[in-house]
Amino acid sequence: MENTNTIEMHHIDKTFGHDTSKIQVLKDIEFTAQRGEMSLVIGPSGSGKSTFLTIAGGLQTPTAGEVRVEDTPLTAIPVKKRDALRLNKIGFILQAYNLVPFLTVREQFRFVDRIKGATHMTEDELMALLDDLGIRDLINKYPSELSGGQTQRVAIARALYPNPEIVLADEPTAALDSERVTVVGELLRDLAKKHNKSIIVVTHDMRLKQFADHIYEILDGNMRQAS
Amino acid sequence: MYLAWKEIKHEKLRYGLIIGMILLISYLVYILSGLAFGLAQQNTEAIDSWGAQSVILDKDANTSLQQSMLTKSQTDKMTLTKQESYVGQSAIVAKEANHAKVSAQFIGLDWDQFIGKKLVLTSGHKPTKANQVVVDDGFKTSNYKLGDTIKFNSNADTYKIVGFTHNAKIDIAPVVYGDLSTWRTLKKLPDTFVASGVISQNAQYKPGVDQLKNYSVAAFINKLPGYSAQNMTFTFMIAFLMIISLVVIAVFLYILTIQKIPNYAVLRAQGVPSRVLVSNTINQALLLVFGGLALGVGLTALTAALLPAGVPIAFNWPILAVVTVGILLTGVIGALIPVKLILKVDPVSVIA
Ligand SMILES: Nc1ncnc2c1ncn2[C@@H]1O[C@H](COP(=O)(O)OP(=O)(O)O)[C@@H](O)[C@H]1O
Ligand SMILES: [Mg+2]
Repeated sequence: MENTNTIEMHHIDKTFGHDTSKIQVLKDIEFTAQRGEMSLVIGPSGSGKSTFLTIAGGLQTPTAGEVRVEDTPLTAIPVKKRDALRLNKIGFILQAYNLVPFLTVREQFRFVDRIKGATHMTEDELMALLDDLGIRDLINKYPSELSGGQTQRVAIARALYPNPEIVLADEPTAALDSERVTVVGELLRDLAKKHNKSIIVVTHDMRLKQFADHIYEILDGNMRQAS
Repeated sequence: MYLAWKEIKHEKLRYGLIIGMILLISYLVYILSGLAFGLAQQNTEAIDSWGAQSVILDKDANTSLQQSMLTKSQTDKMTLTKQESYVGQSAIVAKEANHAKVSAQFIGLDWDQFIGKKLVLTSGHKPTKANQVVVDDGFKTSNYKLGDTIKFNSNADTYKIVGFTHNAKIDIAPVVYGDLSTWRTLKKLPDTFVASGVISQNAQYKPGVDQLKNYSVAAFINKLPGYSAQNMTFTFMIAFLMIISLVVIAVFLYILTIQKIPNYAVLRAQGVPSRVLVSNTINQALLLVFGGLALGVGLTALTAALLPAGVPIAFNWPILAVVTVGILLTGVIGALIPVKLILKVDPVSVIA
């Protein structure tokens, strides 16, 4: 039978600092994400959600444990391979929105094409995506000219643009009103259902619960499945 | 190049200032080296224009044309070819009733020898009589013109300017070309003296007289009064200027790169390879330095064209090339000093 696991995490520990200032942020995390499903990880601020997500995507390494992305063990491969994996398989929607400050919205997408040496969407497809997110009119603006909610939606479009197999989203709806939350929630769910992607969202926004296939809770570094 | 260019376009003020700084520094280096080289040339312009290879002087004259004198009994033993020319040098003060006095160098010639024959005039004609002279263009800045009659030192004899020549300076003073007999008059010498020395276009020319010696032009020029001291001062001045300028440019580009680290962290988080960031850094440094240098060269050319004729400025292409390549290289090196930081940029650092 085909392995439908996209991300597997086993016995993940993460500690920061040394000696007396040492804090353990993640404790023995077990987590699996599957193709065609959207997983939601919920927890209060400071519970370790961002740390969990960046470890899942190979942006930082765990203190102990194993992360596999599409069966490739992240900790065992060289940095270059990890970069390539991130560039080709994973779309990050980060809390800090990760837009390049000196590129316009349009150029953010063009730049992805340049780095990967391919055009990922036709102009019509791109416009349709931007329309869904209500940011079509912002195409020629710089990130500094956008509101928090607009920036967040551009960051979402930017992450989805290269059509990644796995989408990792950190508080993607933090700055959005309820109407936009529904749009983003439906967009992410459709990606999982219609396009067979694997979606992992960490958030403290309970409004996203209705869109998820699996919900996990993270508290004091421990993770448990809520439903 | 895409990122490098977009970033410059987006932050015009910041990058404009950096280009402006490189422009000013390269302008400073170009102009100062041009002025130093121009002044150095005024020591030797006339000698350079003769195309001399060697100078024959009295061996006890300390390699100085001014101090040397050849007697008739010596010159009778020498055989001069088409490549040799007598020269009689004397420092003078030239004056004319209506114009300012000019400190000049009198060069007495036999007008049938090669220096006289080859002399290129910018206006007028060569002397046909002993009381006619050709003077350097430098006299024009004191408003001397063709047909003016001038006196030398305290002598009562008058001489008429019949021609002007360009780039004729020796010991940083304009040259007055005249007759060897005038040289004798100025030096108050009897007919038994012929000239100060012999200029030859043949490096191997042998005078065949024990008291006379053949000096290479390089050795002769180095012994010109103040020449090597002056050149050493300028060389050190420009070397220090270069070193400090290069450090300043390197520091600026270093700071520029450091300021970019957060942006690079964003790009790294997206999976953009470090290699792209490093080449972006190099490309941008090259763009900025090229831009600054190009404008610096333009401004230097403009300045050189607009400077009054009396200001000596001359450009030595090998030196300029070294300066230019030096600035380009240090720009790139400065931008790349933090390359370790670029390679180690932590994408997590931008994640809240
Ligand atoms: N690089 C780090 N160094 C030290 N402590 C960190 C670092 N990153 C995160 N932490 C700590 O780990 C805990 C969890 O952080 P984070 O994963 O950002 O939580 P969340 O995203 O749920 O708000 C916090 O207490 C935070 O201070
Ligand atoms: Mg967080």
